[in-house]
Amino acid sequence: MTDRSAPQLGGVPGFRDLLPDEAEALREAQESLLEEMRRWGYRHVVTPMVESIDVLELGLSAEQRRRLFKFSDARGEVLALVGERTIPVARLVAGKLRSAALPLRLCYAGPVLSADEGRFHQRRETYQVGAELVGAPGPVADAEVIALAARCLEAAGLRRYQVDVGHAEFFQGIMDAVRLPAAVKAGVRSALAARDFVALEDLLARTPLRSAEHELLLRFPALRGGPEILEAAGGLVRNRRSEQALSELARVRELLVAHGLGAVVGLDLGAIRDFDYYTGVIFEGYGPDLGRPVAQGGRYDQLLARFGRAAPATGFVVQLDLVWELLSSAARPPALPRIDAAIAWSGSGLDAAMRLGSTLRLFGMRAVVDTEARRDREARAWWRALGAENLVQCRGASTVAWTARRGPTRSLPPEQVAARLAGSLA
Amino acid sequence: MLLPGALRLLSHAGVMRLSAAELGRRLLVERSGVRVILVRPADVPAYVDHGAADLGIVGKDVLWESNGSHYELVDLRFGPCRLVLAVPEDSKLNGPNTWPPLLRVATKLPRTTAAWFEARGQAVEVVRLHGSVELAPQVGLVDGIVDLTASGRTLRENRLRIAATLGSSTARLIGNQASLKTRTEAVQAMVARLREAAKDGD
Repeated sequence: MTDRSAPQLGGVPGFRDLLPDEAEALREAQESLLEEMRRWGYRHVVTPMVESIDVLELGLSAEQRRRLFKFSDARGEVLALVGERTIPVARLVAGKLRSAALPLRLCYAGPVLSADEGRFHQRRETYQVGAELVGAPGPVADAEVIALAARCLEAAGLRRYQVDVGHAEFFQGIMDAVRLPAAVKAGVRSALAARDFVALEDLLARTPLRSAEHELLLRFPALRGGPEILEAAGGLVRNRRSEQALSELARVRELLVAHGLGAVVGLDLGAIRDFDYYTGVIFEGYGPDLGRPVAQGGRYDQLLARFGRAAPATGFVVQLDLVWELLSSAARPPALPRIDAAIAWSGSGLDAAMRLGSTLRLFGMRAVVDTEARRDREARAWWRALGAENLVQCRGASTVAWTARRGPTRSLPPEQVAARLAGSLA
Repeated sequence: MLLPGALRLLSHAGVMRLSAAELGRRLLVERSGVRVILVRPADVPAYVDHGAADLGIVGKDVLWESNGSHYELVDLRFGPCRLVLAVPEDSKLNGPNTWPPLLRVATKLPRTTAAWFEARGQAVEVVRLHGSVELAPQVGLVDGIVDLTASGRTLRENRLRIAATLGSSTARLIGNQASLKTRTEAVQAMVARLREAAKDGD
């Protein structure tokens, strides 16, 4: 039963409120990701929630366009809420940043929306942090972005993760080389895009030709492993595009080893991603026990040209919601910062309480000063409700009473409180 | 009902010997590092997509209706059935040229049904029902039904005849995309065993 007179306190289906613990964890994860990106020289940009549909259409597939929240403004222009931010960044690079020298290193953070309820948890609003390296071709740039993605996952607090690196051109080369009717090729693409290997087998079984490349297509999901699979695959492909892709992958892997990431990088020649968008090295980051990638990215050298400033580009996004999910399900979830000091006051103690609050905050502590006079049992009840580590009671100008959790109460001169608290919290 | 076939496959592949009664009672059985769980057919993609199960055995008909991110790996070939358009025996409806401008059908598979008719340019009003679909045309709710049938017996018993076949379904092996990448060897080895066992079963 819905009571129509009552406001909808639950919010809109598919959208979530983040309560303090989760909001704080998400913010910390976002800040540590952006901080890592800054250490690599990526400048933060903020693009609007809303873009013109004409701009978004330059980069999105029909399916992605269908999933946009669309509406029209008073001038009749059709607008959409962004579902990703690579396209807005491309718009910036080709527009307001067109006189900025390439390569450009940019990063961003924020929510993205989908008109569909997502496959997981029915979320329509999710949080992404991403980075784009525009104007740099080649394996060194590819490896930089992959290494940055890996270090970002570490910075966010993931202890165990792996990064799978593949190459979009490996598949395109095979599709060029296999002699199949156009209709069958289209079928192969859509079967792979739907990850339907049964349909793929059916299609290929009905074609009389048998080549090494057929076999490769059939074994697509199993084409993953260490550097040895590059050689194995190299023995099977007979086309320039795929061979070039394999040699680029080999080089990117060497560079990632030099980045110190040899242990977490795997190669995945069967990586299946949006075929029309990615043009080179692609990658996905996985955490333990999570059924989908927490980070994904790759090279997209064609997109910028559609905005009138042709440039090679590569980048990635980290799904912040999934980072949080991984962190909170870890064996030891990260400790959330709590309030360090609850400062109660009574009598003439308010001035001292406010001064003390300022001092503690100067030392980087989190301090809350009570809004009304309270003492003894009432002050303790307030402290417990607040969940702070320490209670400091100011009863006058000269002395305060300090109580640590599970500790005795001591009288101190106010000027000693900051040092004692810092010592007990360290 | 894919349970007996799935259990035969698991036993034939040397994965686990299990009786339907035992699994039905316990729902989750773990032996020598493999965990087998029993869930409703329509729930299999959810377990696999979320990574709660590495692999799943499910009918293609369920995959038509779900839009998950799993890999469809092997046609296990057991549990064959057809998805058909069935109409009352005395109905004038037959091939596409006899369909009215707006066809009303009842089904438990609304997505598949709507997509199939739309692809053929036929306007269709899909009524989603949860059980006893066969009843709907007899009481005038719809022109026909789209339902799964193995032998056609239930249809005949309800004085319905098949006017079109929308697709055919068998049991499929599906896999979680991350499992295939993060535990490649164990998962691929299991896929290979089940694939071989399914071949032998023919």
